[in-house]
Amino acid sequence: MPGMWWVLVVVAVVVVLTAYLTWTAARVDRLHERAAAAGRALDAHLMRRAAAAAVLAEERYAVELYAAARIALDAEPEEREAAENDLTRQLRATDLAGEDPDPAVVAVVAASRRLALARQVHTDLVRDALSARRRPLVRLLRMSRRHDRPRYFDVDDPTLAADALRVS
Amino acid sequence: MRIGIVCPYSFDVPGGVQNHIVDLAEALIGLGHEVSVLAPADEDSPLPPYVVAAGRAVPLPYNGSVARIAFGPVSTARVRRWLARGDFDVLHVHEPLTLSLSLLAVLSARGPVVATFHTAMTRSRAMAAAQGVLQLVLERITARIAVSALARRVQVEHLDGGAVEIPNGVAVAKFADAAPLPGWPGECGVGHGGTLGFLGRFTEPRKGFAILRDAFVALAPHRPGLRLLVAGPGDRADLYHGIPAELRDRIEFLGMVSERDKARMLRSVHLYVAPNTGGESFGMILTEAMAAGATVVASELDAFRRVLDGGRAGQLFPTGDAVALRRCLAELLDDPGRRTALAAHARGAVAAFDWPAVARRVLEVYETAIEATDGGVLDQEWVEPR
Repeated sequence: MPGMWWVLVVVAVVVVLTAYLTWTAARVDRLHERAAAAGRALDAHLMRRAAAAAVLAEERYAVELYAAARIALDAEPEEREAAENDLTRQLRATDLAGEDPDPAVVAVVAASRRLALARQVHTDLVRDALSARRRPLVRLLRMSRRHDRPRYFDVDDPTLAADALRVS
Repeated sequence: MRIGIVCPYSFDVPGGVQNHIVDLAEALIGLGHEVSVLAPADEDSPLPPYVVAAGRAVPLPYNGSVARIAFGPVSTARVRRWLARGDFDVLHVHEPLTLSLSLLAVLSARGPVVATFHTAMTRSRAMAAAQGVLQLVLERITARIAVSALARRVQVEHLDGGAVEIPNGVAVAKFADAAPLPGWPGECGVGHGGTLGFLGRFTEPRKGFAILRDAFVALAPHRPGLRLLVAGPGDRADLYHGIPAELRDRIEFLGMVSERDKARMLRSVHLYVAPNTGGESFGMILTEAMAAGATVVASELDAFRRVLDGGRAGQLFPTGDAVALRRCLAELLDDPGRRTALAAHARGAVAAFDWPAVARRVLEVYETAIEATDGGVLDQEWVEPR
């Protein structure tokens, strides 16, 4: 029966298409979840750096640094990038050199370095998620509707000069 | 931390990536972590205890040379089994864009994946045909490491992503403990003797051999016993080009040297000279000379200045200036106190490039990748056992 062929072909096409769509949808979900997780890690590292900066500021009675750290900790989402850049500038203006390493300085330098890594990874993962959202099929079927659009966290590189002595 | 590392190239043949992985794995184990390395190798080949053989690799002509890699359904099954048994906290693959175990591991991985890019290769030809597959692989990678500024630039420009630059480490002990070549470096007194060293492609203008040659030719007639030890790929005829016949027997040419002989060569000189005029992104050879205890004389490139701690761990001279280099060499050869002081500072400075220090930086990237997957911050005690 020649009619049967058409049925088989249609069934096969439907199966392949369904598998592809399911896989794509899972991929979009995975990329969004990962970008969100990286965002939470970045948030935690921002907090850590601000806390370390506050400890250092208290130790040195550095009023401006302390204020910058507090503002960064309390900033509303829309003001946060500016507040974090401000804190980076304050830290860059702080004297972190010295032969005998002060634990508070070591903590600030380490927190900044880890923040730089977290920022880098977050940027990459957000880029991956955004490029998945731009795919025509994903847009057509609105596969990303369950996820908020990932946002870049646009701040300057927080690496401190005290770290530059290390390999770079 | 439980770390799984995948090496794309066979351990049966030596190579830069394999050396890097062995040094990294041993440094990580030394820091108290559990490491398993999966690599293509024959089941019966002698391997370090932490290496798991993934079977024979097939030679495949690739990017102009022959790479020995493993790829296919059998390899895939082995990679999956290794991943399942290892239950790793983080998977670290090297050169994941080659058709290799690395690529298979990335595609089979579920958790955080860190990838190290060694070469500045943009993508393989096979990959260029499959842009979608490339994207799939890159999407699975959580954090990327580039071993050089060049490799990093390729990441940013061609692969649409950032990468953390962490250069190769230096196995300081291997260089510090090497035995000098018999009869070298010889004596070095005021106004006579002394051995200069140069390692690299002397025909490549940016390596600056011509500047060292001019300085040597000018200095040697006034300094009896001054010798020059050269290693690197190239012809003896090219090396002697521009050197008067009577000075030629004071130049010893070793040709291409193995890693071990490189260490011995660096132990055999009073002054290691790096007259590069540019293009050097990091200055690996300087750190090796520093580890070997040679006093370094280098041109004032930014990268060299950084490695030499602003000139405290080695003598800097104006880039491309043979007259200044000659003056520098003459002064240093006459001043053993200053040579010792520079070499002593260099020994301290090179510790930052030693493998344990480099492995700590790689660990930070592992932590970042794990955190970016779980969305939290890791407990310090868990990361640094002991």
